[in-house]
Amino acid sequence: MVDKDNSSGNSEIRTVLVCRGTGCVAGGSDEIYDALKQEVESLGLKDVKVDFVGCHGFCQRGPIVDIEPEGFFYTEVQVEDVPEIVQSHLVNGHPVERLFYHDPMTGEAISYYHDVAFYARQKRIVLRNCGHINPERIEDYLAMGGYEALKKALFEMTPELVIEEVKKSGLRGRGGGGFPTGRKWELCRKTPGNAKYLICNADEGDPGAFMDRSILEADPHSVLEGMLVAAYAMGATHGYIYCRAEYPLAIERLEIALKQTVERGLLGDNILGSGFNFQIEIKEGAGAFVCGEETALMMSIEGKRGMPRSRPPFPAVSGLWGKPTNINNVKSLATVPVIIAKGAEWYSSVGTDTSKGTVVFALTGKTRNSGLIEVPMGISLADIIYEIGGGIIRDRRFKAVQTGGPSGGCLPASMLDLPVDYESLAEAGSIMGSGGMVVADEDTCMVDLARYFLAFTQAESCGKCVPCRVGTRQMLDILERITRGEGQSGDIERLEKLAQVVKSGSLCALGQTAPNPVLTTIRYFREEYEEHINKHYCRASACKELVKSPCQNTCPARIEIPRYIRLIADGKYDEALAVVREKVPFPAVLGYVCLHLCEARCRRDQLDEALGIRALKCFAAEHDTGLWKQNSKIAPPTGKKVAIVGSGPAGLTAGYYLAKLGHEVMVFEALPVAGGMMRVGIPRYRLPGEVLDNEIKEIENVGVEIKVNSKVESLDELFKQGYSAIFVGVGAHLGMNMGIEGETTVGVVDGTDLLREVNLGKKVDVGDKVVVIGGGNVAIDASRTALRLGAKEVSIVYRRTRAEMPASDEEIEEALREGVKILYLAAPVRAMSVNGKLKIEFIQMELGKIDASGRRRPVPIEGSEFTDEYDLMIKAIGEQPEVPDRYMLSVGRGGRLEVDADTLVTSREGVYAGGDVVTGPASVIEAIAAGRQAAISIDKYLGGGGDIDEVLAPPEEEVAAFDIEEVEGEKYRPPMNMLPLDERLKGFAQVELGFNEEKAIEEAKRCLRCDLEEH
Amino acid sequence: MNEITLIIDGQEVKAKEGMTVLEAAKEAGIDIPTLCYHPDLTPYGACRLCIVEIENVKGFPTSCTTPASDGMVVKTNTPQIHELRRDIFELILTEHPNFCITCNRKERCQPFDICLRNVSVTERCVICPRNGHCELQDVADSLGVEEVTLPYAYSKELPIERGDPFFDRDYNLCILCGRCVRVCQEVRGRGAIAFTYRGSDALIGTAFGWSLKESECQFCGACVDICPTGALMERTSRWEGVAEYQVVTTCPYCGVGCQLELEVKRGRVIRVNPKRDGTINQGQACVKGRFGIAEFVHHPERLTNPMIRRNGNFEDATWDEALDMIASKLGKYKENNEIAVISSAKCTNEDNYVAQKFTRAVLGTNNLDHCARL
Repeated sequence: MVDKDNSSGNSEIRTVLVCRGTGCVAGGSDEIYDALKQEVESLGLKDVKVDFVGCHGFCQRGPIVDIEPEGFFYTEVQVEDVPEIVQSHLVNGHPVERLFYHDPMTGEAISYYHDVAFYARQKRIVLRNCGHINPERIEDYLAMGGYEALKKALFEMTPELVIEEVKKSGLRGRGGGGFPTGRKWELCRKTPGNAKYLICNADEGDPGAFMDRSILEADPHSVLEGMLVAAYAMGATHGYIYCRAEYPLAIERLEIALKQTVERGLLGDNILGSGFNFQIEIKEGAGAFVCGEETALMMSIEGKRGMPRSRPPFPAVSGLWGKPTNINNVKSLATVPVIIAKGAEWYSSVGTDTSKGTVVFALTGKTRNSGLIEVPMGISLADIIYEIGGGIIRDRRFKAVQTGGPSGGCLPASMLDLPVDYESLAEAGSIMGSGGMVVADEDTCMVDLARYFLAFTQAESCGKCVPCRVGTRQMLDILERITRGEGQSGDIERLEKLAQVVKSGSLCALGQTAPNPVLTTIRYFREEYEEHINKHYCRASACKELVKSPCQNTCPARIEIPRYIRLIADGKYDEALAVVREKVPFPAVLGYVCLHLCEARCRRDQLDEALGIRALKCFAAEHDTGLWKQNSKIAPPTGKKVAIVGSGPAGLTAGYYLAKLGHEVMVFEALPVAGGMMRVGIPRYRLPGEVLDNEIKEIENVGVEIKVNSKVESLDELFKQGYSAIFVGVGAHLGMNMGIEGETTVGVVDGTDLLREVNLGKKVDVGDKVVVIGGGNVAIDASRTALRLGAKEVSIVYRRTRAEMPASDEEIEEALREGVKILYLAAPVRAMSVNGKLKIEFIQMELGKIDASGRRRPVPIEGSEFTDEYDLMIKAIGEQPEVPDRYMLSVGRGGRLEVDADTLVTSREGVYAGGDVVTGPASVIEAIAAGRQAAISIDKYLGGGGDIDEVLAPPEEEVAAFDIEEVEGEKYRPPMNMLPLDERLKGFAQVELGFNEEKAIEEAKRCLRCDLEEH
Repeated sequence: MNEITLIIDGQEVKAKEGMTVLEAAKEAGIDIPTLCYHPDLTPYGACRLCIVEIENVKGFPTSCTTPASDGMVVKTNTPQIHELRRDIFELILTEHPNFCITCNRKERCQPFDICLRNVSVTERCVICPRNGHCELQDVADSLGVEEVTLPYAYSKELPIERGDPFFDRDYNLCILCGRCVRVCQEVRGRGAIAFTYRGSDALIGTAFGWSLKESECQFCGACVDICPTGALMERTSRWEGVAEYQVVTTCPYCGVGCQLELEVKRGRVIRVNPKRDGTINQGQACVKGRFGIAEFVHHPERLTNPMIRRNGNFEDATWDEALDMIASKLGKYKENNEIAVISSAKCTNEDNYVAQKFTRAVLGTNNLDHCARL
């Protein structure tokens, strides 16, 4: 790179490389290139060269400009940035930091190419030159050692030796089939005949895949060299590159490259004087997916309709024009020169036992970084998705990864550890394929995904053989009806049966693999199919016919969120509350403490910030005028008695609706107060007691009787007393043990116990220095409660990092603001009492492999133990239910009651259960949803219709759907009124004071009204 | 050609090298159901009904495309194959009306019988021109398919193509076996029709949707003859049903001597098929022989006996009268050598031989010629 003739003497020439791959060109890199040239020229910068390169692979951050030799890496460059780059960086020597790549996890600006995490974990063999050389100049390729492999093969190796070398390298077909490349060549070589063909298969057609395209655009000579070596090895005289016409840039650069090779005697007759002759012709395909199948591809080259034919005869025996033919994928061929140049041993040192070398993927979907990557075989899916991909956008939960395009399968989080190689992927039901890798998060519906891929293969089926043409159509019809909510029982089995017929019966690989997305989604996500079919529910909020709006769909009680938000925006607060009341009897409680699963799915989040749905609900509840009572009806008495065990949200909700249906409801509560966890689990500063009192009173007003201090010991007793049905909603109050030494030491208490004592008004002394173990909401509640009880120093110890913490973000923020300290990546190993002082030994953790929850598993660091002294240790690592044996109910894992998922009936007839006792510790809203379901089931059991739906709000006037024009730039949540910090720790006064009227209306108006969208 | 031995269903079978597994099995009398296969055409492997299991071969290869090889061990009817075949056949039947095929009364119904099944008119066998010689019915019988559990995949509701002479194309009945396309290309060398579109939209058609007349079709009828369903059916015999008997004859239209099989019912030719084993034509015919026989045989204006013009009008005559008249009139011109004879290319070689013999030996002249020379 040092130019001795440079007038400025010893200074280095700097080269500005503009990416002109398809992605960056679409982003305007042609203009950037021209502008840079012009700018540099007009300033007369003699030591700066402007050049262009092919795809870097990081298209998501394009257009990319790279300044060599230092390797400064500018991303998302626009034409307007050009003067600044030239002036600041090239003239003044100050790199433009704002254009550096910013790590999505840390926000750190990274100046150099090689430091970007996206590249750091890659191993680039096939993509060795991509982004580094000008693809339109053969000199660049030669400078990188290009065509040396060809010379070596021609002059130092016999064809047999070349084949032997490729066989030894372990290279397998990168088009997806994985057949050993060397063996394929050998078969072709051994077939007698003087005319043989070599075809480069560049008919890349998987949705979201652009591996071959990028290589052809960025490094066409590597493919040509690979073809020359292959042709020499097998004795082919004529080559075709079958490239789809939709890749105009690839074709253009290939044509340039072909011209250059001919000019230099690298192609044609008597190549480099060796006597070896070879011609290459480009054949443009019309873009039929099936033409990627080798027999169909050959038909297409022959000018016939691209339809596969049966093998045998295999192409190696009778292929194009009936002559022996060998077909290799672009990536296989681009790998060949490296194998010849560096030797088989070098190549086979990368990868696993059966899958050698590297594999190129087009990583797309919901990862933070997407683009073209090359990784060694055997790398885990987790490493690709989290290390290179940077994890899931907006910290969503990873759901599935589809490898191998429409012929591949969807693998779930539990498979993240899977090493990427041919065998492991096949065993898991997927395939390596040619390199498509689509990552899906929780917003992706697995049924819809399967439907999408099958719709693709169905449309791309050539129509020749019956199983593929008709079978996939039948399967697609079933999938379509499932996603429309018209699924029938038995549909899953029908799909499986049809899939088997299509797989075993189809002529070519297109049909044989087409059912894979369906089969793997059924295998790993069967419950999503069942939900669609049985409950017409799409948990991802993706199937439009089943989902009015993502927020309402996500709410366990299906509150009509967009509708009440509209009413708030219109100033009709009481009507808004009536809408909420149509589904839940605890609107205010939810307004204060709901986990608001809905907000995580709010579409506005993709624009700027999710709506503050919970706070708006709270606002509506605070402005209740009682309008909802006008239409609230109570049915005449049925004479049936129902007992409810436990007065938590599940029990009271069930009781409320059962009473309204005319049943006589008695709630038994073991504690001296009603409300369950709402009363004794949630601290008062989050949920004031009178808010709960008021809502429980409304429940009593419809006839529900609550008996406190009455622990139910036996269900038989209740049946004897004349109750016809029982609902068990006793919650999960038993704190879990950590399983460490000294757990029963004095000074170690349980988080739920502590919160209960405090909420029951007992005096609790926590001392000065408190440590809380855990990362959930109970841990946060306990720590903030400890502060309010007078602790001077409260710290939370959590074994993972903030990113993995299950507690809600806003709670963590408030805890930190109030002075709670959080120590991440540590866990207690021992508690002991030394001279009356509580001493805890901790160990430091580091994050290891991603586990099935999509989070990194904490691993203890040996020898990193440390100890500290405390007055109190609060363990808050989870709770579990404690159901008396005498209830004689079937108990499953973690002490949870086993119930029928649809009806909530337990193992005993007439006994239903719901809430935390069934799910383990969850949320108020989920308990309420369970209470609603229990009321429906119990009413049906008692001979009723189970109809608990109510119309409490007046009908809505017609509202126009949201017009994107209404969005006036980014707009965030208005800040809520909060209790000043210095007032908080004095006691248990309410901290979050909510929106005032003006702010509430402002916030409500941000709603995108997804429910009104035309489907 | 070398003889090879393979084992099919436990039975040792001799075959010639180059034969497919299906041909070897057929030769040995082992029945394998097929639809897209036709002995005159190159193997295709589309209907997937002829799948078999072959030792050391993955999956279920189609016997029609797999070359038989020495020592091959083939199973043609395991329970697994039978089930897969039935499933595939069911899929075919979702693209085609199927009550006509699965109906248990199908053998007893004739055109104009009343269908007692509560199905739509278009699904009744009695309205299908192919009823009674439908290959789908044959396969259904051999596989024992009595019910289709899958719903009709889609209703194509294609208009029947009626724009061409001689036959109509109703692609609602087409199962895309491709036999018509292949016979047109491989046997007739025309390529007037081809597959169009992809996936479940795939359809047989002409380039740019032209009529057959516009797309180089010669109306030889080979596609009609080879169609296993009622999709292609000549118009004249559409409602005629099954023939009572066949008469083999030589086509009278030209001297080639194509063998035709006339299907006769109630004393009338209802359909003409080129004879498959006719030495000259091997199952093929041209438009005249294929579509022009019945009409001309039964045409009311066809001459069926000699006529003599008397007083300006043609009147019926006996052969003796007519021949006597010809002999006497020809005789007048013989002496002065005023006779010339032109014979027709429509006549057979034998007829032409006799004609020249008669001219030279009886009429005594060499003034003899043939229309083909003109």
